[in-house]
Amino acid sequence: MSTKTPAAPVGQQAQQSSPRLPNPGTRRFFRTVEPYIWIAPSIILMAVFIVTPIIKVFQLSMNKVTRAGKLKGFNNFENFTNVIKDPAFSLVLKNTILWTVAVVVISTLLGFILALLLNNQFKGRKVARAIVVFPWATTLVIQASAWKFIVNTDYGTLNTLLMELNIISAPINWTSSPTAWFAWEIACGIFVTIPFVCFCVLSGLQSIDNSYYEAATVDGAGYFQKLFKITLPLVKSSLTVSTVLNIIYVFNSFPIIWTMTKGDPANHTDTLVTYLYKLAFYNGKQGEASAVSVIGFLILLVCASVYMIYTLRKGDEDL
Amino acid sequence: MTQTAKKPAPLRKTILRLLLYFVILDVCVITLYPYFAMLCTALKSREEIFSAAGTVLPITALWSNFIDIWSRAPMARYMLNSVMIAGGSTIIAMLCGIPAAYALARMKFKGQTAFLGFVIVSQMFAPVVLLIGIYQVMQTLNLTNSILGLVFINAAFNQAFTIWLLRGTFMGISADMEQAATIDGCNRIQSMMKVLLPVAAPGIVTTLIFIFINAWNEYTVALCLIQDDLLKPLTVGINTFNGYNIIEWQYLFAASIFAIIPVVILFMCIEKNLVSGLASGGVKG
Repeated sequence: MSTKTPAAPVGQQAQQSSPRLPNPGTRRFFRTVEPYIWIAPSIILMAVFIVTPIIKVFQLSMNKVTRAGKLKGFNNFENFTNVIKDPAFSLVLKNTILWTVAVVVISTLLGFILALLLNNQFKGRKVARAIVVFPWATTLVIQASAWKFIVNTDYGTLNTLLMELNIISAPINWTSSPTAWFAWEIACGIFVTIPFVCFCVLSGLQSIDNSYYEAATVDGAGYFQKLFKITLPLVKSSLTVSTVLNIIYVFNSFPIIWTMTKGDPANHTDTLVTYLYKLAFYNGKQGEASAVSVIGFLILLVCASVYMIYTLRKGDEDL
Repeated sequence: MTQTAKKPAPLRKTILRLLLYFVILDVCVITLYPYFAMLCTALKSREEIFSAAGTVLPITALWSNFIDIWSRAPMARYMLNSVMIAGGSTIIAMLCGIPAAYALARMKFKGQTAFLGFVIVSQMFAPVVLLIGIYQVMQTLNLTNSILGLVFINAAFNQAFTIWLLRGTFMGISADMEQAATIDGCNRIQSMMKVLLPVAAPGIVTTLIFIFINAWNEYTVALCLIQDDLLKPLTVGINTFNGYNIIEWQYLFAASIFAIIPVVILFMCIEKNLVSGLASGGVKG
């Protein structure tokens, strides 16, 4: 068989490259088993450190759990009813949804616009792109501490800056209420999420053939017509990927809220993840905390299944 | 300006161009502002930070803060721990991820789609939601309060990214050369090591750096699992300056700058490749 065949069927490939074993039966057996040996290390790693914790969390959520984490038998979903009955939970759930929707929607919008701008040819484009990547590369704890400092009423640099620029005359209390703190946390979340959206969209934009735009210009299409008829449909897949992943990551985001307010005062800035962290590691209610985790999974499952179906379909087209 | 210079630029185009520069400049300033604030604060004395008549820029730059932090907290240890955690996670994630990505790209087997689906779904489970489970598993394995434990957790939670990105890279490379190598008598492992991996090097380096950054920046699991101060990575360790009553902002930010710089440099190296990687895989670490 010529080695130049561009796309050799994978089966033949495997046949050629499997090691020369003495017995054809053993060889066939080896050929069947071989792929599993290759993926085994990865499977073992994920089974131990991802799947086992998942199973543990489900077990804990269904059982009565002692403070030491010992299981004391199935308790008729009591953990779940306890969690849902707690008045704090509905507040936390509301916060989580607000946090996720606000951060994802606004950062997707701004990130998309920023990507359109950065896709233009201009001097200093490389520098601008390098700067935009900064918040993505910085760990969230540090980013959040910086913001916590900036918005401080007494010594924060936002007040100092505005006073130096003579925009305000006296310090403004930027964080007068829990709602204000939560708004700043959302702002920080948006700030760190924009680069990811921006780079996802940029990767989509760069794959668009310029001839589409040229043809549209010849046909007399305006800027917005081109934007909605060419750009948007062609970066749709990049946008879907970034949006779904962002929903998952923002939903599960812990460091920003933890660093800025720890969910205080009285759960007013808690989201599900900070709430469950406190339940598990401060109050020793591991059963209830696991129930919160499971509720979180169920909410995210919808998003993840959409993403999986979408990505796998796209992956099959690649094959 | 290069484009507009070609033809006599109409007024509208010039205005649009100026507007573009104006917006981009604003974005850059806003993006860099937190870093600028951090740097300025890191150069101030404690008194100056809390004084009512504060200025944005430090009145006298106190570079000694950058030296003081090394004696006020075990910064060198934190740094070493971060390097070990990030380096170890990268090595394990690659050792497990490369063969898996290779199998997915070059072989056909039962359960392939299921495996791929699992890899993608695994991203739904952030370590923080599984923390209780992770903690119990680590207790069983005797890996709480250990750097090795963090290495495994980071490696595992970065598998999805590793496999997806590398699979994309490998599939983008034609199998012809490997086949030729096989005819020349190489076995599968040899042909992968000698032929495929060198060609795939750019993709591998991108993946490698990205895992390193993710593990370097990881906070939540380390916060929960590590109790011993001398085993903390930088992200957790710098909170020494973030006490319950007083926050030593100048030291906190001086230490933060040390934690940021290596990562930002690494990120800039892969920024270009990451864009094409995202296009094919679309996986955020």
